[in-house]
Amino acid sequence: MSTNKQLALVIDLNVCVGCHACVTSCKEWNTSGSAGPLTDLNAYGANPSGTFFNRVQTFEAGSFPNTQTVHFPKSCLHCEEPPCVPVCPTGASYKRKEDGIVLVDYDKCIGCSYCSWACPYGARELDQERQVMTKCTLCVDRIYSETLPEAERKPACVLACPTSARIFGDVHDPESAASKAIEERSGYALMPEWETQPANHYLPRSIMETIEAARNDK
Amino acid sequence: MRPQFSIIFFTTLAGMAQGLLFFLAALDFRTQVIPTAFLTSLAFPISLLLLMLGLIASFFHLGHPERAWRAAIMWRTSWLSREVIALPALMVVTSLGYFYAYTSQVPRWLWIALLITTVTLWICTAKIYQCIRFIQEWSHSSTTTNFILLGLSSGWLLLELLLSLWNPSFEIENNLFFSGIAVLLLFLSFNLKLWIWRRNKSLKPKSNLASATGIRGSNIRQTSMGFMGGSFNTREFFHHQTDRVIHNLRKIILLCAYILPLILMANALNTPSVAIFAIALAIHYVGQLAERWMFFAEANHPQNLYYQRIS
Repeated sequence: MSTNKQLALVIDLNVCVGCHACVTSCKEWNTSGSAGPLTDLNAYGANPSGTFFNRVQTFEAGSFPNTQTVHFPKSCLHCEEPPCVPVCPTGASYKRKEDGIVLVDYDKCIGCSYCSWACPYGARELDQERQVMTKCTLCVDRIYSETLPEAERKPACVLACPTSARIFGDVHDPESAASKAIEERSGYALMPEWETQPANHYLPRSIMETIEAARNDK
Repeated sequence: MRPQFSIIFFTTLAGMAQGLLFFLAALDFRTQVIPTAFLTSLAFPISLLLLMLGLIASFFHLGHPERAWRAAIMWRTSWLSREVIALPALMVVTSLGYFYAYTSQVPRWLWIALLITTVTLWICTAKIYQCIRFIQEWSHSSTTTNFILLGLSSGWLLLELLLSLWNPSFEIENNLFFSGIAVLLLFLSFNLKLWIWRRNKSLKPKSNLASATGIRGSNIRQTSMGFMGGSFNTREFFHHQTDRVIHNLRKIILLCAYILPLILMANALNTPSVAIFAIALAIHYVGQLAERWMFFAEANHPQNLYYQRIS
């Protein structure tokens, strides 16, 4: 692991209740910024369509009586080896050296969508109105903002989460809360088979460990 | 993946021009076989026209076509960027060939340059898809071979048609050679397609819901993708057609791209005619459009694992 900073989110699946507050706060912050709106088309019609950086999905697993419902927030994972970056023909898609955030330069993007094909997670969305590729910026315009109080210099989704399911920090700094959560609670990455080394991690539900242990004891 | 008509037209039109130019160069670079007047009146202008149409089609793929010039910058890492350089390079070499043929004779170095640039463009185009490692249908050298073989087939059929239009007696004298090669190319590309389809069928997806979500436990299923409306993710990565359409289109591809042109060209071995060549090329091209459509439709993107259920 390199010594550079790598900002990321660590998402605790134990406490996410699937309220979508992170989705709406993300949309609210990012549609209001100087980078331009996250367009919604036909918002009140039969077939609305819109750009979002973050979604909360729901999965079920197991079979009765050992079932579980998992609410699963998903946004750009800010991979350490982002497959979306080298394929970009214009250099609009890039990974910042100073903090590891993967960003799109909207002024250079030609809207070819190739980077979205090269992302296995579906983290990128072409904005229908602006015709440029958009994605989670880890609220790069919040976290370094000098006009915001220091406590608010965090991604909008992190501030909005009512259960503190989202931990924001430098996963290359072993002392950060994010790194400690990954270390102590076996945080894992999505689709490790493609060796993208996502910076975002997920904390597995410990209740399942208890159930599995109980089952093994029988 | 959602089939992109801009790319379907670009790859098939440019592919045909590349095939034509490749064979002109292959036939002519030792000793001149193709008459110069044919090069100036038909072969070079039509190649340039096809390349130009392909280039125009490719612009329709972009959200910001006015910024397309920027796409040549990242050639060190991006096959798309390399393609953006290789296409104009081929057009420049072709224009030079046209110029030389018009004023005197096409020099050998230029034929060699044409061989190199046509093959380079094929490789760049195919590698755009082949290099995406998690689209397992694409991530195989057969992607490049297929692009090249179909470009060669359509280019050769076009060459034969143009030659027979330009000077019927020249074509008839060499018909066994021309129609024979056409049959061979169609036969090879037909077999490659069958092989690719067999391979696609036997692919086991490396990603599944367990690896995509990391949820422990068996029988993982999605109950909500998190929204009820549409989004880029629900549009871009799926062909949105029924299994029946896909099934029927496969038959159309087999018939139009391969079997009918094969029968026609085998027939032309004995009874060549301009009409047969024209019909064979037209049917083959329609088949290629369908084949390229299917190339996208067949590609399974792992992001679809996250977008299965609306509520």
